[in-house]
Amino acid sequence: MNPITKNHTAVLQHLQRTLPAECLITDGAGLRPYETDGLTAIREMPWVVVLPETEAQVVDVMTICREHGVPVIPRGAGTGLSGGARPHKDGVVLGLSKMNKILSIDPENRVAKVQPGVRNLAISNAAKPHGLYYAPDPSSQIACSIGGNVAENAGGVHCLKYGLTVHNVLGVRVLTSDGDVMEIGGALYDNPGLDMLALLCGSEGMLGIVTQVTVALLPEPEKKSVILAGFKQVTDAGNAVASIIGAGIIPAGMEMMDKLAVQAAEQFAHAGYPLDAAAILIIELDGAEAELSAVTAQVIDHLNASGAYQIDQADDAETQARLWKGRKSAFPAVGRLSPDYICMDGTIPRHQLANVLTQIDELSERFGLAVANVFHAADGNLHPLILFDANVPGQTDHAMAMGGEILQCCVAAGGTVTGEHGIGVEKLDTMCVQFTSDELDQFFRIKDAMDPSGVLNPGKGIPTLTRCGELGGMHVHKGRLPFPELERF
Amino acid sequence: MAADLSAQIISSVKDAHASEQSLVISGQGSKSAWLPDAVIGAGGSLDVTGHSGIQAYQPEELVITARAGTSLEEINAVLAAEGQMLACDPPRFQPTQADGVVGDNAGGTLGGVVATGLSGPGRPWSGAVRDAILGVELVNGKGEYLKFGGQVMKNVAGYDVSRLQAGAWGNLGVLASISIRVHPVWQDQCTLVFQMSAEQAQQKCLRLAQQNLPLQGSCWQDGVLSLRLGGHASGVAGAKLALSGEVLQGGIDLEYWANLRDHKADFFQQQLSSQMPGAKKIWRLVVPSAAPLPGSWLNADDLLIEWGGGLRWLRHDDDAAVVAYAKSVGGWCWAKGELMPIDPVQGRYMSELKRAFDPKNIFLSPMALKQTLQQHQQTGPQYAD
Repeated sequence: MNPITKNHTAVLQHLQRTLPAECLITDGAGLRPYETDGLTAIREMPWVVVLPETEAQVVDVMTICREHGVPVIPRGAGTGLSGGARPHKDGVVLGLSKMNKILSIDPENRVAKVQPGVRNLAISNAAKPHGLYYAPDPSSQIACSIGGNVAENAGGVHCLKYGLTVHNVLGVRVLTSDGDVMEIGGALYDNPGLDMLALLCGSEGMLGIVTQVTVALLPEPEKKSVILAGFKQVTDAGNAVASIIGAGIIPAGMEMMDKLAVQAAEQFAHAGYPLDAAAILIIELDGAEAELSAVTAQVIDHLNASGAYQIDQADDAETQARLWKGRKSAFPAVGRLSPDYICMDGTIPRHQLANVLTQIDELSERFGLAVANVFHAADGNLHPLILFDANVPGQTDHAMAMGGEILQCCVAAGGTVTGEHGIGVEKLDTMCVQFTSDELDQFFRIKDAMDPSGVLNPGKGIPTLTRCGELGGMHVHKGRLPFPELERF
Repeated sequence: MAADLSAQIISSVKDAHASEQSLVISGQGSKSAWLPDAVIGAGGSLDVTGHSGIQAYQPEELVITARAGTSLEEINAVLAAEGQMLACDPPRFQPTQADGVVGDNAGGTLGGVVATGLSGPGRPWSGAVRDAILGVELVNGKGEYLKFGGQVMKNVAGYDVSRLQAGAWGNLGVLASISIRVHPVWQDQCTLVFQMSAEQAQQKCLRLAQQNLPLQGSCWQDGVLSLRLGGHASGVAGAKLALSGEVLQGGIDLEYWANLRDHKADFFQQQLSSQMPGAKKIWRLVVPSAAPLPGSWLNADDLLIEWGGGLRWLRHDDDAAVVAYAKSVGGWCWAKGELMPIDPVQGRYMSELKRAFDPKNIFLSPMALKQTLQQHQQTGPQYAD
């Protein structure tokens, strides 16, 4: 724990006077879980964590922190993968996990109004009796909270068809560092003025604290179909993706895995993947029963025409779950192949896939480190997993350097350094690859407009111009993934 | 006619920044009827229609990148040739005669689509303009050329400045280039019509919204509910069977939705005589779909309902009655050609955001932000500091 300074003591006393004792954590054992989020390589022991139960208490915490000039580090369930919730040595960690009530499910307007600490999956569970669900499904959906989803603009495997968090959140109540509570949007299809709702999605807790969220609910699909296809060549799999989308079909999900990822996943999950495949595709189609069989047949035609040598179709929930299981356990499965790995999160235009994978192969050879690739093929989001051993001196930095070069390839191919994991502290440096100093400066002016006192999650998201340098990734030691029980895709 | 005029745009903005000269960013003028006269008259015009041309389009990437001045007509034609379309199906209004630009280029520019953020009849089902934005390049109020977002769907690097431009009405800068998501055209479509009251139509729409149906549009007017189905042929056929209803055929249906989208329908055209004494204003109300319908204070033929109940057009001359109604049902309203009302607290932050992009306040817009109100010394509808 950090030494308690004079200012810490003053803040603490003020918090203790204002909040019930059960809303404050100050003991070492209690603080320990808050020293990191899903990016466990980066840690900072906090000196205080507050867990308010009401919006009024959140306002109190903000007021106290602003008055004392100490940072506020908002935190949801702590499953983020880029260190966005890493504590600050002088700051107060503001956990929103106790604000976990579903306030209303409104089936007529197809919206749910929830507190920020409500788990992603809990929303769909609550909406299920009405035949509705909340579409975005980040892999950590059983644990991650909607407030964190808003902060990171969380994605998932169904983004091409159903969008990201920003497409499915219709309103928020947000507290600014100046103490204003704004109700933006609601069960409405658009709102007057600048789209601050869009700006807040993915802003990593740097512009405001979300105290309530209104999400859109969709009718559950009548039926789903899952298809597994094996290919002898990665380029064939890539062509199959282009040909399906080019034919005007928008699958609910379309995932690709390369040979190393397939072998690891099959060994781990026994999903029935072809071990001799250079790449596999897992495609999920959903919708009204009337059209699903026709579309499924069309997709299978495209797969055959693109050279798939094995195609399995699953119409029952059990087989579908088996086919998905391998993909969803790809991260922990790769973790068994190697003492450590880092997960990158680049996004590329789909047609650049073969080019970028070839470059990754070359980098793999040059750096002498193996790479397993899992790919949200539908939306171009590539997760190369770089295998290494942190116990070999210098290899962590070596792997990190290689990760940085992979992200540079993604940017050069017209993509981005992070598709869905966020910048946090992890990718601050790679932001310099993607943005000019004028653009970074524009980001800072936005921050200043919304958070003039600068207390909200300082040092995250946007790098200062002086810090461009080393690159990073999600670091996993000895297969110990943060939240190993969660599916990672 | 493709041309890169970004250097000229930068230079115009830098001049305006230096001399603190106000600018109205303009394209074809197709949406100028939405701007208050006071805004149009208050600054020099910065015409960006010459900055045009499609820069990148690969159909299987589901994205098109074009300069902001590119006509919607050109973009629609290029997309249609590949069996694709803009998912948000933005309106193609016609410029008013006074703006002079009519004919081949009418219907607006891509920049205008994004800047105004107005979505077509399919909004609840295919998303809004803001949902389709993937990246923008813009010239901010200091004349800096900045790029945000890109051509990929998933991108969480930095604040989402690109999406913030949709519906910003040029407050934050001159859009130079836009990457926007496209969607395959529907394999089949049809329109079903039902004779029923507004209340019955609303209930029907609410019920249908909870089912797996390829709905793409809804409109109630004059005792008729029209539903548009579009998508895979088998899905459309199945839904048509399940919903029954009278089928509109022979191209009448296509014309119906285009006229609705582009405000060529009689309901909207009557405002052309708005200069006449006693003419009613056209109000755009965005409300929760299940919100109660207006009471007897409104004539039934002055109401048109889209978006499954979520968008209601009203013709009325009593501002207070419309504003009170919108507020009472948890929505908001805006009268065509007047300042867009903004909540005071939100307005303060929006004004700061505007200042972050446009410190000298050179870009004019119809939003009732602090800057706009100062510019015109008006007492705005709902802004108070």
